[in-house]
Amino acid sequence: MNTILEVRDLVKRYPGFTLEHVSFSLEGGRITGFIGRNGAGKTTTLHSLLSFLAPDGGEIRFWGKDIREDELAIKQRIGFVSAGMNFYNKQKLMKITAITRSFYERWDEDVYRRYLSLFGLDEEKTPEKLSNGMKIKYMLALALSHGADLLILDEPTSGLDPVSREELLEIFLRLCDEGKTILFSTHITSDLDKTADNILYLAGGKLQAASSLKDFISSYRLVEYGREDPLASSPLLIGARRTKEGCSALIRAEDAEKLPLPARPVNLEEIMVHLEKEA
Amino acid sequence: MLGKLLKKEWTLCMHPAAWIMLGLAVLILIPNYPYTVSFFYMTLGLFFICMSARENHDVTFTLTLPVEKRAVVTARICFAVELELLSLLLAGGMIIVHRALISTANGAGMEANVALLGEGFLLYGVFHLIFFPAHFKDVSRVGTPFVLASAALFALITADVVLSYALPFWRDVLDTPDPANLGAKLVFLLICIVFYALATLLALRRSQHHFLQLDIR
Repeated sequence: MNTILEVRDLVKRYPGFTLEHVSFSLEGGRITGFIGRNGAGKTTTLHSLLSFLAPDGGEIRFWGKDIREDELAIKQRIGFVSAGMNFYNKQKLMKITAITRSFYERWDEDVYRRYLSLFGLDEEKTPEKLSNGMKIKYMLALALSHGADLLILDEPTSGLDPVSREELLEIFLRLCDEGKTILFSTHITSDLDKTADNILYLAGGKLQAASSLKDFISSYRLVEYGREDPLASSPLLIGARRTKEGCSALIRAEDAEKLPLPARPVNLEEIMVHLEKEA
Repeated sequence: MLGKLLKKEWTLCMHPAAWIMLGLAVLILIPNYPYTVSFFYMTLGLFFICMSARENHDVTFTLTLPVEKRAVVTARICFAVELELLSLLLAGGMIIVHRALISTANGAGMEANVALLGEGFLLYGVFHLIFFPAHFKDVSRVGTPFVLASAALFALITADVVLSYALPFWRDVLDTPDPANLGAKLVFLLICIVFYALATLLALRRSQHHFLQLDIR
């Protein structure tokens, strides 16, 4: 197996929150979706990967190398984009690009120009003149232009219109075909339904699932029932919640036959919503 | 790598106010003025740079680049050193112009002379020791480290004025127009340069130590 990133027992403690012994690995050429509600620890995990944070424990290895020992070479091969970042609001994009370009050995100006054109970005503009969506596109253009083998994206599709989102998802799939690896946190789970091979699910600072998206989704079913239904108290139901018509709950696929209720396949959002309710 | 980071500092972090503060070396042309204040203004320029860097999320941007975390600190302090050396160069020029234009003695502290440059190194060294370690403990805090460093700087500026009246060595040897007592002034300058270099190295080490423990969020 071509392991790009291996995180072992990552621990980060804050007052009131602890990222607890998070372990996972990323395979090359795959898109991995990173989900969890606000405050679950996704950004803490991603920022730990890039040395923004000083972890309290654990090991982070990219291409078999410890980030603490080989930070420079590792970062040459990583592209990072975060939706919440606003850099140098009063500087022209061309100035920011010129500086960024100088740091990368594998910067490809043609690729950069292609993404500028695709995303409709004007280098004469300053970040303060860009919408949030356009800022993300600009950061993506930078990240995609230096030949990164691994893209770490923190909510890259938030703030984008549906057409731009679809364009971006297509780009991710194409990059994946080219052998790039993508770790991608988002709240828009439908984006992951369309693109992700694997899923990491974090809740309350603990990694609840790390598997293929297909296996994760097929391990649950959704059941719907009336509010007065005697089956509502069944211990097999997970994260029961009110709906307009009655109630819905998850059930493990292997338990689906044990309840006399129609069970249907679920999507990622339904799994996440019910598991969070259960928690 | 340091060269690239310094280019980034000059291109993206240089605050317009810092250029003005550099230009305040011209204060040395004012008769009867505490000329060491012009060095304080340069540190005010550094404060603006660090504040603007905070507002522009400069540290986060830099950490996304292929650089080591400790290099962020090295670049910022080296950038400060470059600006300070530039300010001292300008001050040197102003001292020459001052000697050519103004013949009256300075009644408000050190004369415009070689020893004044030594005091510049001294003030910048003290500024580094206080400001940078406190700032890199938490890069979101710029004001408090600057107030602490400024308090020390103003104490030294006041001490300079007092010593220029009260201490015979200061009054009769250092606080005299060039080229009088040039040997003693050059020794004073050299001592101040050595202090500046050591203080900067110490500030760098302490700042890096703090910054490596810091969480950037």
